[in-house]
Amino acid sequence: MDSISKSVVKLDHGPKVRGEALYAPDHPMEGVLHGKLLRSDRAYARLLSVQVPELPEGYVFADWRDVPGENVVLLILEDTPVFATDTVEFLGDPIGIVAGPNEAVVDQILSKIQVEYEDLPPVLDPETSETIFFDYSHQQGDVDQAFAQADRIYEETFRTGYQEHGYLETNGLTAIPSDGKLTVHGSIQCPYYVHKALKKALGVEHEAVQVIQDVTGGGFGGKEDYPSILACQVAVAALKAGRPVRTIYSRREDMAYTSKRHPSRSRYKVAVKDGRVTAMDIDILYNAGAYTTMSMVVLQRGVICANGVYHIPNLRVRGRSAKTNTVPNGAFRGFGAPQTFFSAEMIMAHIATDLGIDPLTFKEAHVARHGDPTSTGGKYHFPVPLLEMSEKLTREVDYWNKRKEYDTQSGRYRRGIGFSFSFHGAGFTGSGERDIIKAVAALQKYPDGKVEILTAGTEMGQGLLTTFAKIVAKELHLPLNQIIIALPDTDRVPDSGPTVASRSVMVVGELLRRAAARLKAEWVDGEAQRFEEKFQEPDFVIPFNIETFQGDAYPTYSWGAHCVELEIDTFTGEHKVLGAWGCYDVGTPIDMTVIVGQMEGGLLQGIGYSHMEQMVCDRRGCIRSNSYSDYTMPTSADVPNMGVMIHVEEYPEGPYGAKGAGELPIVGIPGAYISALEQALGADVHHIPFSMEDTLSKWTEVQTL
Amino acid sequence: MKNGFVPQTLTEALAIRRREQVTPYGGGTDLMAEHHRAGTYLFLHRVPELTRITEDDTYLRLGACCTFTQVVNHPATPAILKEAISRIAAPAIRNLGTVGGNIGNGSAKADSVLIFFALDAKLRLMNADGERILPIRAFYKGRKELDLAEDELIVEVLLPRQMPERYIYHKVGARAALAISRLSFAGLWSVEDGKLTACATAFGAIEQMVVRLPEVDEILIGVPVAQLHRVRSQYLQAYSAKLNPIDGRISALYRKSVCLNLLEDFLDQIQSAE
Repeated sequence: MDSISKSVVKLDHGPKVRGEALYAPDHPMEGVLHGKLLRSDRAYARLLSVQVPELPEGYVFADWRDVPGENVVLLILEDTPVFATDTVEFLGDPIGIVAGPNEAVVDQILSKIQVEYEDLPPVLDPETSETIFFDYSHQQGDVDQAFAQADRIYEETFRTGYQEHGYLETNGLTAIPSDGKLTVHGSIQCPYYVHKALKKALGVEHEAVQVIQDVTGGGFGGKEDYPSILACQVAVAALKAGRPVRTIYSRREDMAYTSKRHPSRSRYKVAVKDGRVTAMDIDILYNAGAYTTMSMVVLQRGVICANGVYHIPNLRVRGRSAKTNTVPNGAFRGFGAPQTFFSAEMIMAHIATDLGIDPLTFKEAHVARHGDPTSTGGKYHFPVPLLEMSEKLTREVDYWNKRKEYDTQSGRYRRGIGFSFSFHGAGFTGSGERDIIKAVAALQKYPDGKVEILTAGTEMGQGLLTTFAKIVAKELHLPLNQIIIALPDTDRVPDSGPTVASRSVMVVGELLRRAAARLKAEWVDGEAQRFEEKFQEPDFVIPFNIETFQGDAYPTYSWGAHCVELEIDTFTGEHKVLGAWGCYDVGTPIDMTVIVGQMEGGLLQGIGYSHMEQMVCDRRGCIRSNSYSDYTMPTSADVPNMGVMIHVEEYPEGPYGAKGAGELPIVGIPGAYISALEQALGADVHHIPFSMEDTLSKWTEVQTL
Repeated sequence: MKNGFVPQTLTEALAIRRREQVTPYGGGTDLMAEHHRAGTYLFLHRVPELTRITEDDTYLRLGACCTFTQVVNHPATPAILKEAISRIAAPAIRNLGTVGGNIGNGSAKADSVLIFFALDAKLRLMNADGERILPIRAFYKGRKELDLAEDELIVEVLLPRQMPERYIYHKVGARAALAISRLSFAGLWSVEDGKLTACATAFGAIEQMVVRLPEVDEILIGVPVAQLHRVRSQYLQAYSAKLNPIDGRISALYRKSVCLNLLEDFLDQIQSAE
C-alpha cells in the first residue's frame, strides 16, 4: 500500500476538540437579527392571504414579494420557490420569514400571523400521484426473448423507507448585506451551489455574492441542496432589514422540514434459465416530495444501479420519480443507490434459496467481471475484486460454518448471518463532471515557500482538509505544516465542484496532485506562483448519453462486500447485532484512519436504515418522527463488534490510486442485514426498515403456517 | 436572573416548597430537555437527607436525590434494580438522574419505577408540617398525575428488605442505549418446599401507569412448582383480560403479544429454576 495511507492527526482535530472551532451558531450575535420561517401547516392548499400584525421597530417580515430577483431557488430545475406564492405544496413549505433582534419576540410575531388557506386534496402516496417528475428507461439485450425462454420467472416487490441524515449540527446560515455585496456563511456542503442560487434569487452578478463555509457538523448529503433554499430566504430577510440575519434550525424543524432519503418501491421480474439469471425487468418508483430538488440525479443513480453488481445480459429498467405533497427528498449518502441495491441483493438471495443454492454462491456466479459491460452498455474498465473480497471476508468471519450452523436451530433466540455485495460509481453520474461541473482547482505558492490549496471542497467531518493537504504535501515533498488549507470562500477559491458523490479525493484530489507536480517542476524559491488544473475526462471513458442512458455512467467503481450476523428474540422481535463487517476497495486510502472511520460510520448508518430508523408521514402529510427520542439511530452500543478490511485496486486516474469512498459503505449493508434476518426468521423480507414489531409479526406468521 | 433555589437542608427545602411556586429539580435530565425558560426550580442536590442511602430492619431507604450511579454502586441495592438501572439511558445521564426524579416525572416508562412497583416500595413524602408514607401504587393516580401536594417533596423510596429471591427483568427499547422503554417487565418469585411463596410481576411502558396486578399474581401463590402447568392458562387469561395496552409508536397488539410471551417465559423460568 502507498505510504500516503499512513494516518496523520486530522488538520481540524485540534480546534474541534479544544472547542475553538466556530460552527454557524457560534459566531458573535452582535448586530445580527434572528430569522425564523413562517411555514404552511397544510400539505396542499391555496394561499388566500397572510395577515401580519403590526411589527415592532427593528422587526421585518419578508415573503415572495421581497425577492429581488426571481422567486426561484435554482437547484437543478427551477420549481422550488424561495417563498410560496399561490399555493403551499407540503406541510412546512416556507411562506415568509420574520427577523428581529429578540428571538422570543420573533416567535411571538410568528404565532400572531394569520394565514388563510383553501384546502386542496393532498397526494401523499406516490403510487397515486399523477405528477411524474422524471421517467427514465434503459435496456440491454433482448429482455422479452429471455423471458419467453425462461425456466422460471420470479416477481417480487421491495420497499424502502425514509432516512434522516442525523448530522450533529442542524442547518444554519447567516446572511450579511453590505454595500453592493451579500455574504452568506454557515453550515454548507456546496458553496458554489449556494452562490448560484443566490445570484438568481437576488438577480445580481457573480461578484455581488460571496459564500463562505463555516465549520460544519456533518452533511451526508443533507446540506447539498438544502442550504441553497435557506440561503435565499435568509438573504431576502437580510436585504429587507438592511442588517445581518441568522437562521439556525431547531432539531425538530430540521427533521420535519429538510430533505431525507427517498422512500422507494421497486418491482423486480427476473428470468432464470439453467440456474442462471438471464434477464431482469425492473420498475422503480421514488417518492420525490413536493419539489424536484435533487430527485432527477438521485433517480438516475437508482436506475443505473438497479441490477446491483451483477452482469445481467438482458436488462430493462424503468424508474420514475413521483410528486407528493410531502417534504422534498434529496441527496443522502448513496444517492438513490441504497434503495435499488437492497432490492437487487434480496431478489438474488430469494431466487438462490428457491433454487436450493446458497445465496452467496449464487451471487458470486453472477457478479460482473473486469471487462464486462455495465448496465448502461459501458464497461468495467478496471479489475472487479469482489470474489477476492468475499473470499477474504467469509474467511475472516467464518461465514460458511456459521451459515450452516444457523440453518438448524431452536429456542427463543435465533441467529442468522447474511452477505451482500455493492459498488459505488465514483463521481458524478454520466458526463456530469465533463459537461456540468468542469472542476477547477488551484495551488497558490507564497514567497515563504508555503503552499495554499484553493478549492471549493468542504470539510464536514469526512477529513477532506487533511486528505487534500496530504496529497499536495506528498507530491511536493513538503512537510504537512507547509500546506495551507482553509474552508472555502467563493471570493478566494475556484469552483472545483460540490463536495458530493464521493468525488472530491478522486477528481479534485487528482487536479491538486497534477497542479502540485507542475509547481514542483517549475518551483522558484522566494517567488509567488500559482497553478491551476481543469478537469479532463479520461481517454478510456465511453461517453455517456443521458437521453439513451448508454455509455460509462462512471469512470470507475469502488467495491464493497458486507457481512452481518445477528440474533433475534422471538418473544419480543428485538434484534441484536452480533457483528458487522465490511471489506472495501476504495483504491488507495489517502488516510487509513479517515477511511476506516468512514466505513464504520457508514456500516452503522446502514444498520440503522435496515432496522431501527423509522420515519413516517401521517395522514396530514406531517413527518411524525421529528426528534431524536422518536427517531432512533444506532449508537456504538448497538454494534460493538465491527470490522473493516481494506482491499486496494489502484485507480490510475486518481491521486496515488485513490477512488471514491464516502458513500460506499451504506449502499450495500441493508442486503447483508436483511439476509441475516431472513435466516434467523426462516422467512423472506421485502422492506426496510424492518422493525422489531415487523419481526414479531413475521415470526408469528411463520410459526402459524 | 434567578431561576431557582439551592437549599442546604431539608427544612429549608420544605420551607421554600411551601412558600414559592417551584419545580423540584433532582438531576434535571428530564427538565433540561423540556427547556421551560420561565420555570423556577428547587435544586435539591445539596440536601443531605435526600442524597443518602440508609438501611434499617425493614427498609433500604433511597434518598429521592440519589443518582442512579449511586444506587447501582450501593452494596445493599437489589440485583433487579441494578439491572434495570443499568439499562437507563447512558452513563452520563445515570450520573445525574435521580430515583426521585424518575418517580416525580410521572411516566409509566420510567425504568426504576417499574422495579419500585414490583417490589411494592413505599414513598416517604414530606411537607413543612410532617410526613406521610404511602405505597407507590397509591402515589400514581393517572398519567402524569401524582398524589403529591404543592408543598410536598418526595423524600425517600422505601424498599422492603424482605423480597422474593429470584427475578427476571426485560426491557424492550428501540436500541441498546439511550432508549426509552417501549415495554418493560419485572417478575420476582420465591419458592419454599417446592411451592411458590411469593410472586410479583409488573409491566412498564404499556399503559398510562405501570401495571401491577397482585390479585392476578395471587393465582400462583401456594401452587407447587411441579403443578404450575395446572394454573398456567388461568394465570395468562386473567392477565390478558386485565391488560389494555395503548396504541402508540408501536401497536397495542405488539405490546400485548410481547407481554404474554414474557409471562409465558416467566412461568417457564420458575419451573426450570427448580
